[in-house]
Amino acid sequence: MTDTPLPPKNAETFNTVCQFCIVGCGYKVFKWPEGEDGGAAPDENALNVDFREQQPALGAWVAPLAHSVITQKDGRYSVAILPDDACQVNSGLASVRGAGLAASLYRPDGPTRTRLTSPAIRSGASSEAVGWDEAADLGARVIKAVMDRWGPNSVGMKFFDHGGGGGGFENNWAIGRFFFNGIKTSTISIHNRPAYNSEVHAAGDAGIAPLTNAYVDAQLADTIVIVGANPYETQTNYFLNHMVLNLAGTSQGMKESAFPGEPSASGRMIIVDPRRTMTVATAENAAGAENVLHLQNEPGSDIWLLNAIARVIQERKWHDTGFIRKHTEVQTYESYQRSTLMLGRDRDEFLAEASQRSGIAVSDIVKAAEWIAKPKAQNVRRRTLFHYEKGLIWGYKNYENIASIIDLALLTGNFGRPGTGCSRLGGHQEAYVRPPASAPRPARNIDEAVRRGETKVFWVGGCNPVLTTLRAEALASSLKQRRQPVADALEQTRGRPAAERVAAVVEALKQGGMFLIGQDIYPTSTTDLAHLVLPAATWGEYDMTSINGERRLRLYQKFMEPPGDALPDWGIMARFARRLHTLYVADANPEMANRFLDFDWADDEAVFIDARYTFSGKPSDPMEGYAGVDYDVLRTLGNNGIQTPTRLVNGALVGTERLYEDRKFGTPSGKAKFIPAPPPWTGYAAVVERQRSNHRFWINNGRSNHIWQTAFHHRYLEFYRERAPVPYLEIHPDDATALAIGPGDLVEVYNETGTVQAMAYPADAVKPGHCFMLFGQPRGAVGDLISDHVDPDTTIPWYKGVWADIRRIGPVPELSATVSFKPTNFAG
Amino acid sequence: MTDSKNRSRVNRRQVLSIGAASGLVAGISPQMHAPAQAQAKPMPSLEIANLADLKPGTQIDFAYPDDESPAVLLVMDGPVEDGIGPDQNIVAFSSLCTHKGCNVVWHADQKVLVCPCHWSSFDPGKKGRMIIGQASSGLPQITLAVDGGKVTATGVSGLIYGRQTNVI
Repeated sequence: MTDTPLPPKNAETFNTVCQFCIVGCGYKVFKWPEGEDGGAAPDENALNVDFREQQPALGAWVAPLAHSVITQKDGRYSVAILPDDACQVNSGLASVRGAGLAASLYRPDGPTRTRLTSPAIRSGASSEAVGWDEAADLGARVIKAVMDRWGPNSVGMKFFDHGGGGGGFENNWAIGRFFFNGIKTSTISIHNRPAYNSEVHAAGDAGIAPLTNAYVDAQLADTIVIVGANPYETQTNYFLNHMVLNLAGTSQGMKESAFPGEPSASGRMIIVDPRRTMTVATAENAAGAENVLHLQNEPGSDIWLLNAIARVIQERKWHDTGFIRKHTEVQTYESYQRSTLMLGRDRDEFLAEASQRSGIAVSDIVKAAEWIAKPKAQNVRRRTLFHYEKGLIWGYKNYENIASIIDLALLTGNFGRPGTGCSRLGGHQEAYVRPPASAPRPARNIDEAVRRGETKVFWVGGCNPVLTTLRAEALASSLKQRRQPVADALEQTRGRPAAERVAAVVEALKQGGMFLIGQDIYPTSTTDLAHLVLPAATWGEYDMTSINGERRLRLYQKFMEPPGDALPDWGIMARFARRLHTLYVADANPEMANRFLDFDWADDEAVFIDARYTFSGKPSDPMEGYAGVDYDVLRTLGNNGIQTPTRLVNGALVGTERLYEDRKFGTPSGKAKFIPAPPPWTGYAAVVERQRSNHRFWINNGRSNHIWQTAFHHRYLEFYRERAPVPYLEIHPDDATALAIGPGDLVEVYNETGTVQAMAYPADAVKPGHCFMLFGQPRGAVGDLISDHVDPDTTIPWYKGVWADIRRIGPVPELSATVSFKPTNFAG
Repeated sequence: MTDSKNRSRVNRRQVLSIGAASGLVAGISPQMHAPAQAQAKPMPSLEIANLADLKPGTQIDFAYPDDESPAVLLVMDGPVEDGIGPDQNIVAFSSLCTHKGCNVVWHADQKVLVCPCHWSSFDPGKKGRMIIGQASSGLPQITLAVDGGKVTATGVSGLIYGRQTNVI
């Protein structure tokens, strides 16, 4: 009897990539009939390991959460999912998330049994499980009736657009075809935000793609700059398997062979984050504290800080004049110097204000400038790699925030060379292929359209706005209110012909109702309100492709059946499109019928190939083009895949390790543009200023190491759930003492926007007056506190810009019993 | 890809750590009651220390259930979950990190066990649960008993890193 079964020699094996964060670690899947386990001797198991002996550190192991038993139509199977030693991304390392991939699989006899398994029509009082034909018929008839009466923009959507679990090129293409070419609605929004927009418009305007570098560049850089990100926790194996090797000096040999004769040393790291995170602690442990500069800035001050660093670089003449002259539009550099570096303003006065606004000493601003751009020995230019993520993207204010870091990278010429780049660190994986969207700039705020009653159908797919949007309570109450007339109509017409039900629904819509479609893998607080619930398949249940944070494209192989009647999202969109086609044909409306043609893909790969022909790597958007790639190619390339954009050269497939090695940027001129990034002061936006002046604490918020996004899987898995049974709220110990709050106390966090509960986690990781709250937790949505302020230029919210007060409720031992309240930023 | 594997996970600190991982710390004499080579392979019983010698702050490295499985006994300042002894403050855990098997290190100041390879940390006051890190289970807890003034290891709760079963 073994405690974890071993795969036998004849286990089926599959390649896949983790479904969780953007790093996309490679994994091997082993599948075999339950009970037919391999033996401990090396010739008796598929790992070829002698488990009669203790395995050494960094050796092989099937950890308990790496194994599960699934039920297929033809019987039960053991599945083991282990990190792939041969994958360059993770080299055999698992993160806390990937280590539990097997535990997240659907099993009807396990904790994931709550998956959605069949389509359902729901009224207030009842839920009817129906087949796909009936679900698509009702949904398509309602959509058609709404389009015909109120026009396409009355059909709203909020859908994922990502790679990784549940996403992928296949699903994104089908969703885009359906809504952008079929419905042709402009009432569109992306999973985590109220609009359909880039989160990095300023980068795009500069001609810079979001993901520019290769992960190996983090091993080659002299300095890594991290702004508003916490990669130990949320881009784990990019940090551990690449950045740390540089900080610890382990990649020194690689540097010497890559750059013969060039001076190099262990890497340095600059981290801009108001919190002292585990990333700061581990970087200092690996590199020595003297090689890590942590700039613990005040909220909303990134532009001041980054511009001040740039001003020092410019004044010391450490900027890359050759690069600027040859590869940027020089007039944009001239206006950047005026508007952003404020060369007309006294330097000391400028730095003093930047220091005062950001809370960062001038000496540290100068030190950051030195680490970024002061030439090395022999006057050799430093190689600096810039990374940023939600601390900057969801900061104040989005457009200029992104501009300020892109400008800094341009000023110092850090594109297209090994060890350089300026990229998002990323959250989820990517896989954006869609036809052009009707998305003006600034984009429409769809939450507002829903709240104002303009949207008659709202189709939410693979996301949960009730939990994650800004001013979430207001959206939730609007959904509840507007669903009711439709629910009543459906209840009153139960068992009646579809046409009669749809007529009743339309009457309800005239009275302010809204027909809500919820498409997901689990029930959520959004699908709970939906009239039509559509079960989606997810990772491992269909063949899928995505890219990671270095644009590495791979095939995530199907190794199990979806639960019940669940379908990949592309299959759901295809069913609805086909039904709409036949309804419009019957209506003798060929123009509309034709919009829903060609949704007859035979399989996952057919969708992938269909998308490829449309999206093959345009100069303006090179990141996700994959010319010449099909599933056979990807099967051959395995877990190392190929980096996009790809192209065919004399018939051979060629990938792109890092962008801009040819210095051709994504602008009509091919030259990059500096984007003005003046600080948005004199003050905060009015609604934010009101929160700020009325409330004592800044409620910073974001992701954590062990809870993926809304905890859609992890809420069901004890190991993860028990560490955050409700959202935790880091609060400085002095503030906790002042409010008589102890570790594990339930607290109420409140402001004029809303109220939410959290569990206090006193920690000096945050400064006095600052807090940090886990976002998107099903038992407490920080979105309930977030005002409806967005960047007027981009419609990107300042999700991190929340101020609130806190009061103690008291201890809840049954919730806090499993939580350790030791520091989460101690690295020894 | 062998090169990439070899270069990937070794930094200055973990080299030291892994080097120090094997072997027992001098000063105790674990008496291994090795089980007979039976199919059942029951958990052995192992005397670790005299109860009278254990004071808050004591740390004893030992091996259990066999020489290849390092473990650590800790005497905490006050009662903890599943602690034994009159003050319910004696606990013991496998020392092999459940992420990648490096030896965890006791930090008496913070009262935490931290792996020097990838910094997973574990709370001995909470049954070895992970505080933060990349493992997917807590540290296996060594079941202790007090018998005739001796503290004895009698079992393991959780799977020890690098094994398919705890007694190999």
